[in-house]
Amino acid sequence: MTGFATRARGFLAKYWGVIGVLLLWQGWVWAKDLNAIVMPQPLDVVRDLVTNPGIYLSNAALTLTLAALGLVMGMALGTAIAVLAWTSRLLSGILIPLGLIFSSVPVVALIPILARLLGYDVKTVLAIVVIISFFPAFVFTSAGLRALPPGSEDLFRVFGSSPWQRFIRLVLPSAVPSWMIALRLSAPPAVLSAMVAEFLMGTSGLGYMFRQSAADFQTDRAFGTSVVATAISVLCFTLATLAEKRVNARWS
Amino acid sequence: MSPETAINVDHVGMVFTLDDGTELTAVRDVDIKIGKGEFVALLGPSGCGKSTILRLVAALEEASFGRVTIEGQDPAELSRAHRLGVAFQDHALLPWLTVKDNVALPYKVAGKKVDTTRVKELLELVGLGKFAGARPSQLSGGMRQRVSIARALVLRPDVLLLDEPFGALDAVTRRHMNVELQRIWAEDEVTTLLVTHSVEEALFLADRVLVMTGRPGTVAMEMKIPFARPRDPSIQRTPEFHAMADKLTLALEPEA
Repeated sequence: MTGFATRARGFLAKYWGVIGVLLLWQGWVWAKDLNAIVMPQPLDVVRDLVTNPGIYLSNAALTLTLAALGLVMGMALGTAIAVLAWTSRLLSGILIPLGLIFSSVPVVALIPILARLLGYDVKTVLAIVVIISFFPAFVFTSAGLRALPPGSEDLFRVFGSSPWQRFIRLVLPSAVPSWMIALRLSAPPAVLSAMVAEFLMGTSGLGYMFRQSAADFQTDRAFGTSVVATAISVLCFTLATLAEKRVNARWS
Repeated sequence: MSPETAINVDHVGMVFTLDDGTELTAVRDVDIKIGKGEFVALLGPSGCGKSTILRLVAALEEASFGRVTIEGQDPAELSRAHRLGVAFQDHALLPWLTVKDNVALPYKVAGKKVDTTRVKELLELVGLGKFAGARPSQLSGGMRQRVSIARALVLRPDVLLLDEPFGALDAVTRRHMNVELQRIWAEDEVTTLLVTHSVEEALFLADRVLVMTGRPGTVAMEMKIPFARPRDPSIQRTPEFHAMADKLTLALEPEA
């Protein structure tokens, strides 16, 4: 019982801000007597989440799958291009400015163009997530490939290492901590950009569900979608942070 | 000197071109012959070019004048054949590998099968048998240097190069490490070039001490160290040791 009490107190101490906002929201809707189309009550949102878990889960699974797949592909691409740029000064001179320019284009502006090119379906959503995840992986891997432990370069030379052995045993492992930073930074935007793409041109997923329910004046469901999306983003960030911590403990 | 010359630094000069185009002579006309199985200490203050000499022997630099050969060959050839062992002041251990894997690294770099018995023996020899599975970050500074020395010796190199291996350690640990190094070295009496700025370290470990001074650096003095091996730490308290230390100190700072 005491254990539960301390846990509850710990929970309150940590999340009193969120609870406060929820209470304020509920109070405000009551006091102003707002229509549920304009502003649903937190309880309505919770009710919709609990009574229709299937529709939330299936759409969340879809968005999450696209985000994860795009994240993996984007990071693989970013890492591969970073390695390519590392091998030659000429290539890095071309690739780094190109990457910078490309990453400066807002995603929202890219979506219509990509949709024309790839079609108004999941392919475009995936492409958006790949583009979003590419850049951090490219930048951080590029930096990581040059962050070698002090003295290790001389060491490998004296030990007569071949360029390939040097790359595999020294350069690539040196980039791992930076790569983990890229993963942590990319995971939440991957989910977010998947949702934005679905919202603008998709035919399924959380983003599409949000747009549809908002258009149908199912404001409680639109809010529910946001709650699920937030939960997924927080989850992705937490997982990536944990993974980063574990790797750093080994690499420091 | 032993009859057979292992390392021959033959009238070597080294000129670096700085970023602004000016030329800087680091060492001038350095002539050093090291016999097979001999332990030579290169003693000098910071910036006298002693590390440059070591880097030339390690095939990390090319001499501007003169020539460095090891057993008649270019140092780069020995490095390609994985016959050089080296330990630097910054231990250069790879943080993501365990102690055991760090010591085994030269095998992997050379594309050879890891001799686990040899790795184990060396870890026992440097007193870290129980730490085989630890990571470098879990070790003290002295322990890391022991790993680094074990790694330098693992392939049974023809030449061992030590660049201030204990330079970052406190005085007490350093003295302790010198005793350890002497014991480790006695196992296999490999030709060794030690670069140091510590008079006591050079005297305690080496068969011969060369003092380098000046800018550009030159060899100012040579001293044979007569103490029989194995050397007990107590020799460092003998009047003979002190007399030689004074002589070397004076050679290091002639103006003082």
